[in-house]
Amino acid sequence: MRGGVTKTAASRRLRLPRGEGAGAWLCAGSVALSLLALLALLVLLTVRGLGHFWPSPVALVTLEDGRQLAGEGVREVPLADGDGLERLYRTGNRDLDGERWAWVRVSAIEAVGYPADLVVVERRRWGRAIGHLVAVQGAGGERLEGEAAWTALEARLAELGTLRDARDRLREEVILPLAGRRDDEAAARELEAAHARLRELQAAMAGGRLELATADGGTLTVPLAQALGAYRPNAMSPLDRLAAWGEGVWRFLSEGPRAANTAGGVWPAIFGTVLMVMLMSLLVTPFGVLAAIYLNEVAHQGRLTRLVRIAVRNLAGVPSIVYGVFGLGVFVYGIGGRLDSWFFEAALPSPTFGTGGLLWASLTLALLTLPVVIVATEEGLARIPDQQREGALALGATRLEMLSRVVLPMAAPAMLTGVILAVARAAGEVAPLMLVGVAKLAPQVPVDGDFPFLHLERKFMHLGYHIFDAAFHGGDVQAAMPLVYATALLLVLVILVLNLTAIFLRHHLSTRHGALTRR
Amino acid sequence: MLDSPPPTAVRRRLRQGRDRLATALITAGGIGVIAALLAIGLFLAVEVVPLFWPSGEASAISPEALWSGGEAAEDASRHRWAPTATLAPDETPRISLAPLAWGTLEAAAWALVIAVPLALGAAAHSSLFMSRRLRSRLKPTLELMEALPGVVVGFVAGLVLAPWVERHLAEVAAALLLLVPGPLLAGGLWSRLPAPWREALPLGWAGLWLVPWLALVLAASVWLAPWLEAVAFDGDLRRFLELRLGLDIAVRNALIVGAAMGFAVMPSVYALAEDALSGVPSSLAEGAQALGATRWQTFWKVVLPAASPGIFSAVMIGAGRAVGETMIVLMASGNAALMTLNPLDGLRSLAATIAIELPEAGPGGVHYQLLLLAALALFVFTFLVNTLAELVRTRLRRRYRRLGGGA
Amino acid sequence: MPLVKEQRSSPDPAAIIDFPPEASSLAIRGLSLAYGDKTALRNLTLRVPRHRVTAFIGPSGCGKSTLLRVLNRLHDLNDEVVREGEVLLEGEDIHAPEVAVAELRRRVGMVFQSPNPFPMSIHDNVAFGLRLQGGLSKRKRDDIIEWALRSAALWDEVKDRLRASAWSLSGGQQQRLVIARTLAVGPEVLLLDEPASALDPISTLKIEELIRNLKSHLTLVLVTHNMQQAARVSDYTAFLQQGELVEYAPTDALFTNPRLARTENYITGRMA
Repeated sequence: MRGGVTKTAASRRLRLPRGEGAGAWLCAGSVALSLLALLALLVLLTVRGLGHFWPSPVALVTLEDGRQLAGEGVREVPLADGDGLERLYRTGNRDLDGERWAWVRVSAIEAVGYPADLVVVERRRWGRAIGHLVAVQGAGGERLEGEAAWTALEARLAELGTLRDARDRLREEVILPLAGRRDDEAAARELEAAHARLRELQAAMAGGRLELATADGGTLTVPLAQALGAYRPNAMSPLDRLAAWGEGVWRFLSEGPRAANTAGGVWPAIFGTVLMVMLMSLLVTPFGVLAAIYLNEVAHQGRLTRLVRIAVRNLAGVPSIVYGVFGLGVFVYGIGGRLDSWFFEAALPSPTFGTGGLLWASLTLALLTLPVVIVATEEGLARIPDQQREGALALGATRLEMLSRVVLPMAAPAMLTGVILAVARAAGEVAPLMLVGVAKLAPQVPVDGDFPFLHLERKFMHLGYHIFDAAFHGGDVQAAMPLVYATALLLVLVILVLNLTAIFLRHHLSTRHGALTRR
Repeated sequence: MLDSPPPTAVRRRLRQGRDRLATALITAGGIGVIAALLAIGLFLAVEVVPLFWPSGEASAISPEALWSGGEAAEDASRHRWAPTATLAPDETPRISLAPLAWGTLEAAAWALVIAVPLALGAAAHSSLFMSRRLRSRLKPTLELMEALPGVVVGFVAGLVLAPWVERHLAEVAAALLLLVPGPLLAGGLWSRLPAPWREALPLGWAGLWLVPWLALVLAASVWLAPWLEAVAFDGDLRRFLELRLGLDIAVRNALIVGAAMGFAVMPSVYALAEDALSGVPSSLAEGAQALGATRWQTFWKVVLPAASPGIFSAVMIGAGRAVGETMIVLMASGNAALMTLNPLDGLRSLAATIAIELPEAGPGGVHYQLLLLAALALFVFTFLVNTLAELVRTRLRRRYRRLGGGA
Repeated sequence: MPLVKEQRSSPDPAAIIDFPPEASSLAIRGLSLAYGDKTALRNLTLRVPRHRVTAFIGPSGCGKSTLLRVLNRLHDLNDEVVREGEVLLEGEDIHAPEVAVAELRRRVGMVFQSPNPFPMSIHDNVAFGLRLQGGLSKRKRDDIIEWALRSAALWDEVKDRLRASAWSLSGGQQQRLVIARTLAVGPEVLLLDEPASALDPISTLKIEELIRNLKSHLTLVLVTHNMQQAARVSDYTAFLQQGELVEYAPTDALFTNPRLARTENYITGRMA
């Protein structure tokens, strides 16, 4: 009844005109303000995170003094002296003038055009190149100009993409596994053949270059092997743009970072996050469930158990950084240091396990999320009516049989909820990782073809840390911002999905148990 | 009669043995896991001991030094944290934890200043007026808000909000001024609306339909800002603050941290406060309403006092979270170890310091032990605060049960 | 007047039981039980006849359910319980250290107040205990399941949906399923703790009929707060009050001619 709007006329007459005073409206306002803040944050992340991949038109700006520049308009701010506006353009061609950004006084702009033949080239180094396509020179030295050059460029880039894929596959699927078996002669022959093929591919990719006439009148030559993709943003139809947007999102998800984390994708970070979280759940689930079973089913339900239960609950509120400190002190320096001196003496003084790594990070986060799993599982166990336990025991089941055949299957959704909440928490946790094993840029992912395939001692990349690092430690924060937005959006989405799953499970659970207790 | 054959003695012994083994394993594992968890406090305490009772020739660190940062320090350099600074021979190390503790508490205090009114207001509204359907949606929504990673909130606060606020101080001031009158104005207008309109916008859903209204109010404050700046702050708020009030303005400051952390802490305070409020036996509230009190009066005079221990524990939990939050402070505070009352100055918290400095501090050194001492302080503080909150909550729940509530 | 009558009565309530010791399935001797410092049973001594229905009646909190739970050692689950005296099942002390609790509970089955089928299919519920014992072919197991469901008068109602969830049955069916589940493991004694209190009258009648049929090969102990039910189904009735055995006699004798005023007051409803 409270809060509900009564539908009878009498109560409407009684209640509505009287009003509830100022306090009620301030309270409603605080709900609204919280929701507004949440909404604003999510909208900001979504718009900026997804908008970055939209190929926006590139303007060709002509200034009063005749200079020209090409780039996308980013934003306008009032000039420091108060009159007029200043506009920021995101340009390219950093190898020519060292700049990726240009501030322009709006009043100094004479004309802004969007010529359809402006070409943007994504490069392996130096970021983007922008200009009019002058010519494309093939590997054999033949030179094409005009519209034919564009067609040739597109064809050649597609070809290069295929070659690059073939090369990567060859490396990962043939060469790396073979490299591990050096003594085997057959393997050595195969390896030699594969290397030969690799050289062939490299040779096929080499050669050729394209020439751009830049906006400021210069010429820029880009070796074709350096070009990752080229597009003419002003000539694209909306459908083309959508396709390019999809491709951009895909490349963001599937590629590694470039240019000191300010460009490229976040695939290693996604991989690292997922791997670390998976390892963590493998560790936390059995131990958390074990501890919960002990607390709820085995331990003497006395004062001590009550105290322990409160303590475990409170450990969920201990700051994550404290867990990180524990992980560093005990796992990394303590256990890791000991392991190094026993098994990896040859590698000393450079540490193997005595430094942060995947294993220690997973262990630390497992410890951090242990209270979450314990509390959720305990709640699930407590919700199972004692009759079910007694029913099993009365049939001659031992405690183990009672637990494993009746109680645990019934508590499974609660356990799952706990694990999902733990995963959601672990996926967003960054502070402890900074102490126990996350890396700014990990050259090797922790899984590869080398025995034992999963390298627990390696450092790894993490979405959350990637955000922190790109936003605070990158050389060009301005350039990294769009990617940081996209990464943040990705992380938030992952965590939202996990939490929604947990909420759904819990809801499902409560309705099912509701049905049980109603009878 | 059909009967199951008597089970063989071997199988019975086997089942019994398995049961005993499993019980032993569960007991050992359970105790082990819990011991490992509880070992965190013990580990920190043991590692910190050599600071005060060193074994070798190293000198013990006096509590005095941890407070003031070294005896020889003059007033100007009192309370300084610079453990890695190269020192002149006659200098004592600058290892005062005071500015870090101050920064931690200041950030937490500002976070609570923002989170507590919002959370309590929201809890009051949802337990008093909100329609059941909206309430059942609001809870998971705010849970999602709680789950937003600190690094994302910190990024938005430190790199988006902070620079924007720095450029738009007047707009922020205007928005703050309008935040309270905004909903009141909505209330006033609402009571003058014709009845069908009021029914379309019921009070039970006000939390939702006030969202666009508030957005409008905030937009109005942007429009009002130049006027406000001209009338009240001599045309330039920034200069006004710096010259008239002598406040330094850092881009990333305590207020930004407070806002971001308030945003992060608000949902957990809300959840606990809402539990406490809706746990108050409805017989109490109905009794007051039967005497002719409005719902708001009932809330203020009856429900709130009854639930106050629960609300206290909600605030405690919020404080515990705010003190330990690392990434938000790290990214939004500027990390300058200052001890000022100025909310527009930067700060540096214990947690952020640990995150930045511990990877560089070699194990066993004084710097390392000092950082572990900081971690121990955080651990003890949050553990005590949470225990207090938990005890108060248990007490309260027992009282509600005595009052025949739990509805 | 009632006081005088009580003084005249025999001090040993079990004295009038008309079966020889060797006909008793369970023998309880000097049993006392306390939860912490709260006494639940005081120095009980009685014998339960084999292949008969024995009812325990008494006001709530008199210890009748506690007594029932002692008989298959469910009170073991509570760490605070202190026990004195002994319970003999076919002459063996059930609390002896060499007794396996699980095996004891198989021999002494129990059915609870509200039906507690496991969240699995009907078939799996009945198979639960059998699978624990092991050593049965699937075919033999299915035979036993059919026999148990027939014995519980449930077979005809569920034979076409053995794979359906047990929770889809009605309350009365669920209770009979629980009885079938217990019968399947071949108990010697069946303890029934107010088995019909959560059921409608028709289901109650079915359960009572079932109880009467089962005593041909089982010893049944029934706890009930419903005196008509005790009178209808039991052969012997024990009246307990505040943890003490007040009177124990053949049911007809106890209900038509109680020897003690306390018993009479209770069964005539003068005392709740």
